Amino acid sequence: MPLPRFVALAPIAVTAALCGSAASAELPPSLNLSGQPGVIDMPSGEAREDAAFSFSAAFLGPVTRGTISFQISERLSGSFRFQTWRDWNRLFPSDDTEFSDRSFDLRYLILRESPLLPAVSIGLIDFTGDGRFSSEYIAATKNFGERVKVTGGLGWGRLGSYGSIGAPFGDRPALTEGDFGKPNAGQWFRGDAAPFAGVEIRLTDTWTFKGEYSSDAHLLEDAGRGIIDRASPFNFGFEYQRGPSVRYGIYALHGTEVGFVFHLLLDPKNRVTGGVMGPAPVVVKTRPVRTADPEAHDAGWVTQADAGPLLRQNLARRLAVDGIVIENLAFTASTVQVRIRNNRIDAGAQAIGRTARALSHVMPASVELFEIVPVVNGIGASRITIRRSDLEALEYAPDNATLLRERVAITDAGPLPANAIGDDGLYPSFHWGLRPAFRMVEPMKFEFGARLSAAYDLRPGLILQGSIYGNILDNLDRTGAPSTSSLPPVRSDAGRYSKFGNPALESLALAWFARPAEDFFTRVSFGYLERMHAGISTEVLWKPVDSPLALGVELNYTKQRDTDGLLGFDEYDYDVVTGHVSAYYDFGNGYLGQLDLGRYLAGDVGATIAVDRVFVNGWRVGAFATLTDADEDGLGEAAFDKGVRFSVPLNWALGNQGKQTMGATMRVPGGDAGARLEVNGRLHDLIRDYHTGALDPEWGRVWR
Amino acid sequence: MTAALAACALLASCGSGGPQRSPLVAAVGTMAQAGLGQIVGRGGGTAAVAGPVTRADLEAAGTPILRAAIAARAADLLLTVAATQGNIVTWITPDGTTFTLRDGVLIQTRGLGADLMSSQAPTIGQLLQDGGTHQRRYFFLGEDDRQTRRTYDCTVDVVGPETIEIFDRPHAVTRVNEECARPQGSITNAFWIEGSTIRRSRQLASGPVGFIVFERVVD
Repeated sequence: MPLPRFVALAPIAVTAALCGSAASAELPPSLNLSGQPGVIDMPSGEAREDAAFSFSAAFLGPVTRGTISFQISERLSGSFRFQTWRDWNRLFPSDDTEFSDRSFDLRYLILRESPLLPAVSIGLIDFTGDGRFSSEYIAATKNFGERVKVTGGLGWGRLGSYGSIGAPFGDRPALTEGDFGKPNAGQWFRGDAAPFAGVEIRLTDTWTFKGEYSSDAHLLEDAGRGIIDRASPFNFGFEYQRGPSVRYGIYALHGTEVGFVFHLLLDPKNRVTGGVMGPAPVVVKTRPVRTADPEAHDAGWVTQADAGPLLRQNLARRLAVDGIVIENLAFTASTVQVRIRNNRIDAGAQAIGRTARALSHVMPASVELFEIVPVVNGIGASRITIRRSDLEALEYAPDNATLLRERVAITDAGPLPANAIGDDGLYPSFHWGLRPAFRMVEPMKFEFGARLSAAYDLRPGLILQGSIYGNILDNLDRTGAPSTSSLPPVRSDAGRYSKFGNPALESLALAWFARPAEDFFTRVSFGYLERMHAGISTEVLWKPVDSPLALGVELNYTKQRDTDGLLGFDEYDYDVVTGHVSAYYDFGNGYLGQLDLGRYLAGDVGATIAVDRVFVNGWRVGAFATLTDADEDGLGEAAFDKGVRFSVPLNWALGNQGKQTMGATMRVPGGDAGARLEVNGRLHDLIRDYHTGALDPEWGRVWR
Repeated sequence: MTAALAACALLASCGSGGPQRSPLVAAVGTMAQAGLGQIVGRGGGTAAVAGPVTRADLEAAGTPILRAAIAARAADLLLTVAATQGNIVTWITPDGTTFTLRDGVLIQTRGLGADLMSSQAPTIGQLLQDGGTHQRRYFFLGEDDRQTRRTYDCTVDVVGPETIEIFDRPHAVTRVNEECARPQGSITNAFWIEGSTIRRSRQLASGPVGFIVFERVVD
């Protein structure tokens, strides 16, 4: 709406305001060098706030350690760590063994801190690795006043290697090579146990002193490899907290080394900007009461020849403000169905609310039912039916979101109405984008480049899309040497694709999406599906709108592409039929589970189980594990592949509107077993956004 | 060509959807603002003022004006009417943040980040009833964008007559405090009522936004 000109001068005065941080009674949990709640090298008994997420980078003499940690629930947390050592082969110049390590940790808070009792946690460090860091612990932490926190604990494995008090639960069996990479349950809490202790003292609001007695003898690095000289069990140092998200530490370690750490502490639950940004919606337009103005409610308008195009044009103009595009509009005297494509707003509920508000301005008064069908890749994902009189009555009511939800029906989208008016200008259409692309391969291994992508919408549900990726800078080591895997190198040659194909045609494929029947969705993709494989991929998904359960079947036939990023198939003579049956389940509170059974790219057969925690604002953190019959290391053992993944919506950090995300998937060992085709547009993620499992938690935004 | 593409990728996202600010540039911008202790929301003010605004300037526009000052955002704004429905008026800033008041009592905000999504608030009649009690309910978008609520039990304290000045014009008003408590803490909303018009008020919007001071400058 036009505003009086002087309003541009609106802010009369700007005074500085400082965001004061309230000092809490206790010291909040702080992280150790391994990115877990702890002292310096030792763990503590605390757990962090639910959902806390962190990146930690530690530099300890010759050791570099990067860790991603996530507080999975109020009591359970997990970490993924990547370590490298300089001078690993100092004592063994001819040795060429690996000098890096990837590991997973889990810990569980057994007891919360109370006035009398400490917080107690039990944890597993590197519980699926090859044993270099494997250790278990139980630790207790208690605050004394507002400035002092004391930790004591008992460790096994590495944490039981100095000052042992004996082996209370028997000997620790050695791992064989076949055990590597699998949960080393036989070792847990076995062997020598040793006590450790630490203290944390808050000096000022930002500075903290830490000191500890370590039960890790560092046998591997000191005696084994000679890369550090451990002279003392005592470590101490200072930490500096800068704002809520950044913490630095500097330490004297083992009596001989200096260590630095940097922590980036993120809280997925709270947007950096303090809330959902973006301009206010227009108010709902209220119809005149029928008795006062019966003419306004007359239904005669439906017979006007130009009613359809006119309404459509008016609605489109109002929705364009929010990046919403009308796919189809169908109406009778009492009902309107609008099919929308939500291009910008990150919450489906808000897009639905904005559409309903726009309809209240555009539709003649006789129209009482608003049916809004969000369309994703040409498929109607669901249908949200709102009574216009509810919208009018509840806009200013207390608890308007809950009240509206009680009166709104969310159902299957149904077929396209016969009287729908499509937009001649919408198909075919072409869009493209050039965006920075960031890929994290390990917690401290990055790749940064640019992706040129384009899509050609031929007709609803039929899309030709392609992308070209060019790498600009990275800190990865790529030799370009062929993989030594005993399996077909369906993934282990990824480094060759990066080295020889830059820039590379990542994808160029035709995809067809459809909703053939109630609750059924299908996809067929054909072409260069991903940078390593090309072929055909088909998928069927059954997902009722309000069901926590979804079932899917995928079947693919692909050939491995050349490493030069072009169109050929000459380098590898490899083609494979892969496919999975999948079950998806929404456990509530944002926890999603997925189970896939089937055949993977290297021809191996097995299953993948995955759990993700999805936040209403779009954050997503998850872990997965795959067990297949591939004999990757030639040991006659099943292959166990696992990994973690996360995705951060940029609007969470920046406060802008938009659906772009930044994320990474990190697999260990990242080999050929358990590898799946990476195809765009898998159905469950596309459709779920507009089903009740996703709409209900974010429903508060319908009035935003 | 490569360099041009690289520059494009680094500084901005380009595409058929129109130019977008690069996430990197935007992130730097956000951090710079955060460093100053003021991530200013929409409504946080956009333009500087050449000189002091006078009542004559405001009245010359010939439209009702409400002033809103948000200390936590270091914002002092002049609002105009976006929509009226009965006794409910939605006021808007030039950059599209709205404040909805029923007879001068704040019931909703939109665009402040931590918005007041809806509320159960007293009528002006209730606010003039010395010793009267009522329940107040606030509904916010809280942690993880989920709806949260606060419920207070409130008592009205009619403090007495006062004279206040708004843009050089004195108003004879009745000062009213609405004292609200819940187990986790208490708040006080204050109203300066002239006849049946709330001339000035200090009302809670949400935890992070805090209190907003409203002044009805031009009727």
